[in-house]
Amino acid sequence: MTEYFGATVADIFNTMPERFKPEEAKDVDIVIGYEATGEGGGKWTATIKHGTLKVEKVEELKGCKTTIHADAEIFVGVTLGKITAIDALTSQKLRVVGDARLLMTLLPKIFVPFTVTPRKKAVSARAILATVESRFRPEKAEGVTMNIGYDLTGENGGQWTLMIKDGRCTVREGFAEDLAVKLIMDADVYAGMMLGTIDGASAFTSGQVRIEGDMMAAAATTKFFHKYVDPNAAEAEELICLRVTNSIDQRFASGPVMGRWFAGLKEKKFMANKCPECGRTQIPPREICAICRVRVHEFVELGPKGTVTNFDIVYFASPDPLTGAVRDTPYTPIYVVLDGASEQDAFAFELKKEDIDRIKVGAKVRPVWADKPTGSFRDVLYFELDR
Amino acid sequence: MKKHKKNRNVAIIGIGQTSLSSHKEDQNQVEMVQEAVINALQDAHLTIDDIDCIVHGNMELFEMQFAPDLWHSLGTGAYGKDEYRITTGGTTGMTLVCAADNLVASGLYDTVLAIGLEKLQEGNTTGGITNMADPLWFRNLQTGALTGTTAAEMISEFGEERAKRAAMKYRIMMDKHAVLNPRAHRRFGLEYEQAEDLMANSPQLVGELRLIHMCSQSDGACAMIFTSEKKAGKGTGKPPVWIRDHIQGHREETIPNLFGAVKPEMTHHYCARKLYERNGITDPVAYFDVFEMYDPSAWWAMDWLREFFLLKGDEHIKMLERGDFDLDGKIPINPSGGVIASNPIGATAMLRPAEAALQIRGDAGPHQIKKEVRHALASGFGGTFWTALMILEKDLNW
Repeated sequence: MTEYFGATVADIFNTMPERFKPEEAKDVDIVIGYEATGEGGGKWTATIKHGTLKVEKVEELKGCKTTIHADAEIFVGVTLGKITAIDALTSQKLRVVGDARLLMTLLPKIFVPFTVTPRKKAVSARAILATVESRFRPEKAEGVTMNIGYDLTGENGGQWTLMIKDGRCTVREGFAEDLAVKLIMDADVYAGMMLGTIDGASAFTSGQVRIEGDMMAAAATTKFFHKYVDPNAAEAEELICLRVTNSIDQRFASGPVMGRWFAGLKEKKFMANKCPECGRTQIPPREICAICRVRVHEFVELGPKGTVTNFDIVYFASPDPLTGAVRDTPYTPIYVVLDGASEQDAFAFELKKEDIDRIKVGAKVRPVWADKPTGSFRDVLYFELDR
Repeated sequence: MKKHKKNRNVAIIGIGQTSLSSHKEDQNQVEMVQEAVINALQDAHLTIDDIDCIVHGNMELFEMQFAPDLWHSLGTGAYGKDEYRITTGGTTGMTLVCAADNLVASGLYDTVLAIGLEKLQEGNTTGGITNMADPLWFRNLQTGALTGTTAAEMISEFGEERAKRAAMKYRIMMDKHAVLNPRAHRRFGLEYEQAEDLMANSPQLVGELRLIHMCSQSDGACAMIFTSEKKAGKGTGKPPVWIRDHIQGHREETIPNLFGAVKPEMTHHYCARKLYERNGITDPVAYFDVFEMYDPSAWWAMDWLREFFLLKGDEHIKMLERGDFDLDGKIPINPSGGVIASNPIGATAMLRPAEAALQIRGDAGPHQIKKEVRHALASGFGGTFWTALMILEKDLNW
């Protein structure tokens, strides 16, 4: 199967059972369909029910609550985080039919992320020898004429001669007649020495490397060449990112003016203050009218009913900064001008979920209060349509 | 409001950017800052020794790192120099430019370097922005900078079909500009034929605000160098671009009173009106050759074009439909691809005057406007609807 970013689409589904976190999926009952198109693609379903998971490769996606569709490469890229999910979703390269929030909420919760260990490609002695000519430094080998033999044993081995003459270095297979020196070792030891994972001197001392001929000439050859650089080294380098979650306990003083608002809520009243200059009713009340730049002293009770001037049906599940939890969507903040308020001063509150489908600009709404108000925004449960 | 009394004229003489992308895991914050600063210094043919003062800005709340200017001093080169840190949310980048303009104009410093940056991947942007709401009221409801109210208002004013088409045409036009900008973060290669599909199928975020309409979260940095009229053009690299005037419009922080039965004057409109008035510009569409606008979403962009150009009724939609905002149109909008394409927040608003200045210099790159650019407008946006607006000029002749 075709690999993208070092993994196949099938790898993702084959590893799903071992990545599944049953304790996080106790209350989950859903069938998710996956379609990866193009080379290396296919269709899979994941049936998650009360802490169990069944992954199947299928011909058709049937009975799925939500389906996820993408080209195989996009599919692997997004799963591995190599392609930004939000960009793939925005450009429609990744499509979700059903509840797109799954990607951000449910799936990260019930699965350990899919990862691939970067496989560092093994470098062969032959590949290293192929770079010898380009690594040659003629300025360091001025006037040197020498043939050096390499007798590399083992599976990846072979016999080569490095011929240095007239400021040039050529490599050919087999041994030349007049070798100044012959180095005999296992091909993997040679590769290790060139990559720096095996120390040359130790290898010689321990007998892993044998030298026949002019040992001093062998030692001198190292300076004739630039150091070998593993072309895969950068690829395998790990970029370390650290994860931190901050949780901060905060206290905010409401002050005596805004405090009247919260005191009002305790008595199930909306207490605004009214600017003596422009007459606007400020919700929540503020010390100063920002427009007229005067102190505002007079308090008036508004509502409790009001008229909707605008509303937002929110599908995007953002974090609630008061709790850190991901919000349950959809939810609907409505902008309300309370009865008796100046018409430019709306205030916002959440609409009862059951009324979302019927909300319209101009609708009348009323607050639903908590049983025991304590003086916080939680004293109003929500607004509902007033009918 | 009084006219800005400039003690002396101020020129932009150096511009440096990093590439803008969703991840910059190959650089930490300091290294990213340094890349932009080096680019700006090279652009100006200056060294860090020529810089008298540094103005630094990002949204600390997003990365949750206190005193970022101290952490970044290795990258900014601020060691032993005067430095100011500025954080004003979305407008940060533009506020940095306004501050640098004021610092040089006042005569306090001759040459000032401003650096704006963000690594949004290192924090939670929507979580961070949601914290701007009053902690005791409304924070329980706010969803970062996401809202569908403008879409709803435009649909009610212009009809569903025309409003949706306008927002999508704007969005695809921005992508077409971004594709030309090698530094832009999101370059999808969208075609106008895809409009129908995207209008119907792009996931909904809030109401008719869909994923495709919304700006990105990006990593990146931008640095700019400013100097006095006396020093500009003397041994510096590129021709100076002049800051003619700037204005910033703050407002109270409460959002809901934008949505009453009667709307207050938008800060965009207020700033534009005051700025044109005190500079004697009666027809901004005719006067300006380019507008780099802070456009967080396609819906807001369409709505705000009317405010910034002081247009009436559906004039802004007609202009879009006619192609006036295209790269070769009457008044091209965001040749860079705008905020929709790239949004490293602390740098985002600085990229607007930076890109506008590149257009005036004529070396923006593949997204350079063909006709000559003499007068440019740039805007910043942030917080609960406040605005910064700046006029840039090629010639010192106003």
